[in-house]
Amino acid sequence: MKHLRMMFLLLVLCVAMGTASQAQQPSGSAAPAQQPAQPAPTVSSFVDRQISTIEKQFVEAAEAMPEDKFNFTPESLNIKGADYKTVRTFALEVRHVATANYFYWCSVTGDKLPEGIKGANGPEDLKSKAEIIKFLKDSFAFGHKAAATLTSENIMEMLPFRNNKAPRLQLVVAPVPHAFDHYGQMVEYLRMNGIVPPASRGN
Amino acid sequence: MKMKRWKLLFLLFVLSLTTGLMGQAQTAQPTGPVTVSAITESEIRLIENDIVPAAEAMPEDKYNFVPTTGEFKSVRTFAEQVKHVATTNYSFWSAVLGENPPVDVSNENGPASIKTKAEIVKYLKDSFALGHRAAKSLTAENMGERVPSEFGKRPRLFLTTFTVAHAFDHYGQMVVYLRLNGIIPPASRQQR
Repeated sequence: MKHLRMMFLLLVLCVAMGTASQAQQPSGSAAPAQQPAQPAPTVSSFVDRQISTIEKQFVEAAEAMPEDKFNFTPESLNIKGADYKTVRTFALEVRHVATANYFYWCSVTGDKLPEGIKGANGPEDLKSKAEIIKFLKDSFAFGHKAAATLTSENIMEMLPFRNNKAPRLQLVVAPVPHAFDHYGQMVEYLRMNGIVPPASRGN
Repeated sequence: MKMKRWKLLFLLFVLSLTTGLMGQAQTAQPTGPVTVSAITESEIRLIENDIVPAAEAMPEDKYNFVPTTGEFKSVRTFAEQVKHVATTNYSFWSAVLGENPPVDVSNENGPASIKTKAEIVKYLKDSFALGHRAAKSLTAENMGERVPSEFGKRPRLFLTTFTVAHAFDHYGQMVVYLRLNGIIPPASRQQR
């Protein structure tokens, strides 16, 4: 466990290295001591780092599930007394989070949604692990693009969102806790298949 | 966990904004521009309204439950999940306020003396009271200010919202624990 520390270490590394989004495989113990003091954070930069944190964990978790288990739900384990009727499969958890990412972040960036999104779980023709992971990864690119639009002046600007309006800051930030909710479910699905989530390895 | 949950979350959020009923505030709210304080408080309320009922939904005799089918060595019990979330809440939201945590946060799973379900749920609920205070303290001027926290100096806004994301991570695990015990998470019940 000590998951929280790892999340923060990641964040610290991102800050220190100035590579907020695509930081490669930081080792948990590598202290960023030699770096100069970072510039004052902008709302854009620290929101972007939150997105990077969930992006890294979530994508790695999705990649950790073998393709032949991608349609796993705990229902298949037939655990006595458990209730998993109608829950999402692992694949649908991933597709759902990606779809929500697109809905929120594209409403900020003005980009068109990907083709084929008909509901909360995204395009039904996305079947293979590779297709689903690409759909997921591409969604985070819009997160970084949306975060880059934030300034201290515009964060409260009300933007159109699904027949309503919402503050720009909320639209950019909301997908992060949403994704963590589903990430928490996915790590349990991984463990049920004997897989320790990548972010928890070495703890 | 169930379909369209995120839509519900967002609708709740938009409703809370558009009706001026931020959370439980029943009295008339000043109308005016949306503030960073209101936005962050609504985020805190979203997780609070999910995780507190989830904590309450687990029977006391299952509070030390951990899954066993699969690779679950050294994972937190349900009780430890709740205590860990609450402890993190206390730690980071106190930092936002510039206060010492009102509880001992030296163990990331909280004080060993907090054992019963009633004690643990109270510990969790009280942590959210601190969160609301932290959110209320945010302004456009101070949200970017780095304040000392357990993990070094971090912007107030980051500490406030990251704590919500952290809690959702563990909430996602807790709903799996609940379902393994045949309990539909309260937030998912209306969707059956």
